[in-house]
Amino acid sequence: MKDKGKVVNFVLFLAFALLVIAAAERIGFQSVTVGSFKIGLLPLVFAIIITMVLGMKVFRKGIFKRIYSEFNVSFAGKYLIFIMLPLMARYGADVAPKIKEILSIGWVFIIQEFGNLGTVLIGLPIAILIGLRREAIGATLGIGREGELAYISEKYTLNSDEGRGVLSLYIIGTLFGTIVFSIIAPILLGLGFSVEALAMSSGVGSASMMTAASSALIAQVPDQAETIRAYASASQLLTSFLGTYTMVFLAVPLQRFMYNKMVKRGKQ
Amino acid sequence: METNMNKYLKYALVLLLSVGLILFTQQVKIWFNGEAAAPISAMTFYGLITLWTFAFAGVLLSDVMKKVPVRFLQEFPVLGWVSIISLVCCLLFEFPIKAIQAVDFLSITTPVLTFAGISVANRLVDLRRTSWRVGIVAIFVFLGTYLGSALLSELGLAIAGK
Repeated sequence: MKDKGKVVNFVLFLAFALLVIAAAERIGFQSVTVGSFKIGLLPLVFAIIITMVLGMKVFRKGIFKRIYSEFNVSFAGKYLIFIMLPLMARYGADVAPKIKEILSIGWVFIIQEFGNLGTVLIGLPIAILIGLRREAIGATLGIGREGELAYISEKYTLNSDEGRGVLSLYIIGTLFGTIVFSIIAPILLGLGFSVEALAMSSGVGSASMMTAASSALIAQVPDQAETIRAYASASQLLTSFLGTYTMVFLAVPLQRFMYNKMVKRGKQ
Repeated sequence: METNMNKYLKYALVLLLSVGLILFTQQVKIWFNGEAAAPISAMTFYGLITLWTFAFAGVLLSDVMKKVPVRFLQEFPVLGWVSIISLVCCLLFEFPIKAIQAVDFLSITTPVLTFAGISVANRLVDLRRTSWRVGIVAIFVFLGTYLGSALLSELGLAIAGK
């Protein structure tokens, strides 16, 4: 019977998900040192690597053919957003206890949030220049963390050009984001930016990237370690909540405007 | 009406699957890594129930808002509604904060990425084709957000006289 096979496949799919989670957690947090840089890999990285590698066409035989059945893969895509919702439901609990602190630190923290539009302002022209089109929408909307992933997957699904763009950025960010930030932060410090301003900017929306940027700053200016950590976490807290709204209300319209201008001009 | 009920039942079950996977992940994390994750207590269960409730309320609110004749409200993503509900409830009451904090943060992320990985299985070939370009873009995207924020912070701090 066709339905029975589907049910068996689905049960296999759920069991597989549990196994992957267990394997990813077993591997745990791993730090890899490349040259003088330390890359921290969290279980979530191993979870996506395992599921993607095993999903490759080479492995689509026997049990993997059943786990990665057409129905199961489209189920995972269609309901990914629902699997993500509890993550979104957490942000209020992170922000609410610190709301007074955030308000007292003042408007500078809020102003610097708009700097996150730099992903569109700098990233989009570069992306168009090297030949990306709709992928660029997913790849430059933000730094490609859970917020953008959820937004793009809701609006376009991950099975689209936009979805591939954001997912590529997500994976690249997960693997290399910390290295990039631990290089950028000291370079900007060397260019003359104040350590306070750079600490405030470290809350880019990813806890590991924030940690990388602020740790790199602390390494350069150890006297200011406490200020750097305090500013960085406060701004991270702000981005984890405001980030969604900056994206939806500012980055999306700005990106649409710039994309239409640049792509149309290119066609003429 | 009945198809609607079916739809919401499906959403409710998928959300239940999601919080179930979080609980599983937290348990596995404790087994393998001991102190790395918060211990599972009655509060953890209340936390999962709270997350489920905020998520489901967000889904319902998002559907209600789709009927409101304001485009901005119609297009606002369901994840935004979920965070708004969460923030409002956490500002009003202390209990949801305590409950949610008993749920380990990283345990929420592993199941999401497991699903994300499976969902892109059929597009891996395309992903490989596009990624070198996105790789270049990624550097400028990261530089863009950091440089943008640093310039504005610098300006703000200068105006504030710090």
